[in-house]
This record gives sequence, C-alpha cells and structure tokens, in this order.
Amino acid sequence: MPKVTFINPDESRIELDIPVGTSLMRAATAHGIDGIVGDCGGGLTCATCHVLVEDGYLDKMPAVQANEDQMLDFTAMGRSPCSRLSCQLVVTEDMDGLTVRIADPQL
Amino acid sequence: MSEAALSTKTIDAPVLEIDPYSLEVLRDPYPFHERLREAGPAAFIERYGVYAVGRHAEAAIVLNDHARFTACGGIGIQDIRKPGDFRIPNRLLENDPPGHTAIRATLTKYLSPIVIRRWREHFETEAKGLVEELVAKGEFDGVEDVAEAFVLKVFPAAVGVKLPRKEILAIGEMRFNQSGPPNELYHRAMERAKPYLEWFENSVRREGVTPGSIAEMLFDAEDRGEFEEGIASNMVRSFVGGGTDSTITGIGHTLNKLAQNPDQWALVKADPNKVRAAFEEAIRLESPFQVTYRTTTGQAELSGVQLRPDTKVGVFLGAANRDPRKWQEPDRFDVTRDTTGIHLGFGTGAHICIGQMIARLEAEAILRALVTRIDRLEPAGLPRYRPINQMRTLDHLPLRARLG
Repeated sequence: MPKVTFINPDESRIELDIPVGTSLMRAATAHGIDGIVGDCGGGLTCATCHVLVEDGYLDKMPAVQANEDQMLDFTAMGRSPCSRLSCQLVVTEDMDGLTVRIADPQL
Repeated sequence: MSEAALSTKTIDAPVLEIDPYSLEVLRDPYPFHERLREAGPAAFIERYGVYAVGRHAEAAIVLNDHARFTACGGIGIQDIRKPGDFRIPNRLLENDPPGHTAIRATLTKYLSPIVIRRWREHFETEAKGLVEELVAKGEFDGVEDVAEAFVLKVFPAAVGVKLPRKEILAIGEMRFNQSGPPNELYHRAMERAKPYLEWFENSVRREGVTPGSIAEMLFDAEDRGEFEEGIASNMVRSFVGGGTDSTITGIGHTLNKLAQNPDQWALVKADPNKVRAAFEEAIRLESPFQVTYRTTTGQAELSGVQLRPDTKVGVFLGAANRDPRKWQEPDRFDVTRDTTGIHLGFGTGAHICIGQMIARLEAEAILRALVTRIDRLEPAGLPRYRPINQMRTLDHLPLRARLG
C-alpha cells in the first residue's frame, strides 16, 4: 500500500498507508487528521481539504480539472503553485512516498 | 470496438412496465426503486420511452460522463431541445462543459465557500430565535413552522431575493412537477402557479432583487461582461428553484427521521456535531430530488446494457441512495454512517449541487439550535407526504418538543 506523509501545521508528521483508489481527503478524515476538514465529502464545493504537494511529486498527481481549479481560488489560506484539494488526489502506486503539507487555515 | 462486436457481448435494457410518476409510486417510491435496481444496470420505461438507472455505480457513471450522457437535453423527462417543451432551460444545469464551466466558475466567485461561511453567525442567531418560538409552542409542524420558516427567512435575505411563502411554494411545485411527464400533477401545479408567474418573472429581474446583494452582484457581473446576457437572471431563477424547496425538504426529512428514531436522536443530542451527519443521512434515505435526467449522445453501453442514441436516461438518485450494492442495511436511518460525498442526493460530477454548502449551513444551524435546546423530539401525529413528480417531500410533519 502506498505510503503518504501529511505534515500538520505544527510540523508534526503523520504517515498513512492508503489503499490505491482512496483519496487523500478520505484517508485523512478517516484517521482523524483534524487539519483536513473535507466538509463536502469530495464534491468540490467547500475547499477545506487543501494541501500543498511537496517537491518532486506534483507531476505525479492527476491533472487539475475545472471544478477543482475554480475551488482552489477560494481556499481559506490562499492558492500557491503546489496547491491541490486532497479529495481529488486518489492514490495510485506512483504516489508511494508522497508528502503533502496541510494548508492552514482551512476555514 | 465496432457496434457489431459490442452487440455480441451486451444486452438491450430490460423493459419495465411501470409508471414511476404514478401517485402510488410517488407516495411510496421504494418498491419501484427495488424493481428498477433488480432489473439491471439500466431498464427501459416503456410508457415514456426513457431509460432508468437505479444502481449507485451506474448512476455515478451517467452523471460523470457528459460526453456520452449530455445535460443539454434538460434534467427533466422531456427533451428541452425538441418541440413541445416550453420550460426555460437552466443555463448552468442544462449545459455541458466547456460552456458550463465558465458560467459555474463565475457563479462560484460570488457564492464561494468563503462568502457562505460569513453567514454562519447570522444563521445561528436566527435559528436560536426560531427554536425559542417552537419551544413556546410545544407542538408544531416540522415543515411549515421549522423548515419553511427558517429557510425562507435566512436564504432569500442572504442571496438578495424576495421569496414570500405562498408564491414561492406554488412556483416550486410547478417547477418540480414540470420536470416530469404532463400528468395530472403537472397540469394541476401549472394551474395553481398561474397567478404567481408574473411575480416570479419580476422577482428574478434586476429590479426585483435586493440592492447590494449577491443577486445584484450577478447582474453587475453581467454588465461587466463576466456572464453572457441573460445569465444573471437565469442564475437568480436557480436560487429560487434550487435553493428553497430542496433545502426545506431535506430539513423536513431530517426532523422526521430524528423524531421517528429516538436512539438516533440520543446520539445527536449527546454530540450535536452529528447534526451534519444526520442531515446527510436523511438526504440519502429520502432524497429530496428523486431523479435527474441526461440524454445519450450516441449509442452507449452502460455496464453491459446497450442504450439507444438520443434517448433520455433517468438517474433515480433516491434508488441509488438505497442500493444494497453500496450500502449496508440501506433502509435504516443511521447517523454514524459515512455518507457525505458518497450519497448522490446532491448529484455528482460537473453539475454537483453548487449550493450544497449553503444547504448544509442552513440545516446545521437550525438542527443544532433545536438539538441543544430541547431534550426530545417526538412525533405528534403521522407525517404526510406531498406527491411531486421530481421530488420526495413532506407536506405535514406534526412534532412535539420535550424539555427535561
């Protein structure tokens, strides 16, 4: 199972084994990672599962679709070039070793 | 793959001789839903010449694949591109990417989650005030005195439209019967709404909206060229249609299910944050919008079933939300179930409900205020449903609030 590391706003790290096909948002909320809110459950309407993808992995992520692109403009922290909504990052084998920083704030 | 090759591996849709819009089905849609799901990944409703999909997996496929299943034919049973239908197309909903994408992006700017979150405090204050009135009454109607009273108070003010109760309920009933076949419900609702049509047309014009509101901002954006001409009024029309009846209905179902299930009420009472999950679960179990249509663009295969081109496909969201292939004990109301973003009550794909965070905020505010103030919510009579072609909605919901 691919390993993904979440860096909390307080710099603590949580490593999760996430089954292929599960989104980072769902894995994080299921494990009680508070920094990922995910209010709308992956419907691209709340922009509260914002993460920053660490160096070297951005091009392994699925392409940003229109609805995600729109919502990234309305994240509470503001958008950066490595911003993604973690509900759209569905884990593949390729993502093993991925590290994402949890945006702060989400609300 | 050639069509000939396909036809050797696929089947035609099984035919269902049932009217999904009969009063019998609308009053209790669940036996029909089961027949539909068990018939196959898609069935053909002979009476109307349309396909119907009732399983969760296939419902999601149809709603996500706009290349094969277009929204441009309209989200009702009739094809709005063909003669005989005179409904005004919704330019956001009855449209596909890429045309849809630009409109949605601009609308999102004015109704972003950041904008919506600013309403929270005000909604919570209004909810507390309303709950005090309910406590004083002791017995009340969960539809008229709670869901309608709250939604019609906070939502129109938040977006800048004026929605008097009698007018808006008649218009809503017209719109959500009009998306079904021209049956008796359809004709009756059209007749009843007639006196209010002029009011409705005026209320979605620039002159009809509140100065300085989001609705007016949409007209200003249109003036600046952010929207094509006519879109602002069309979007304000969607606030009226998409933002009231469905939210009222969802809150009504949640109150009903919480009153009917004291064990689930107890869970929510112990942890009022669970009101959010209760709302999602109620929408899963009694989906306010029961069905939405797409149209096949060409010959299409859906999980081994061949669908004819240029034919309507009814996606029965209410059936998908009780599909045992997806849910354990699908008919049980369980506030601990993980449903948000998984049930299809808000749709999925490009057209997923754009106002869902508003609906959630409204529901959370009123339910949380109620759950924290009273100790028990009990039925004070039998709930009554109101048959509407596209919706599953309550008409009356007698409730009693108990303190101590």
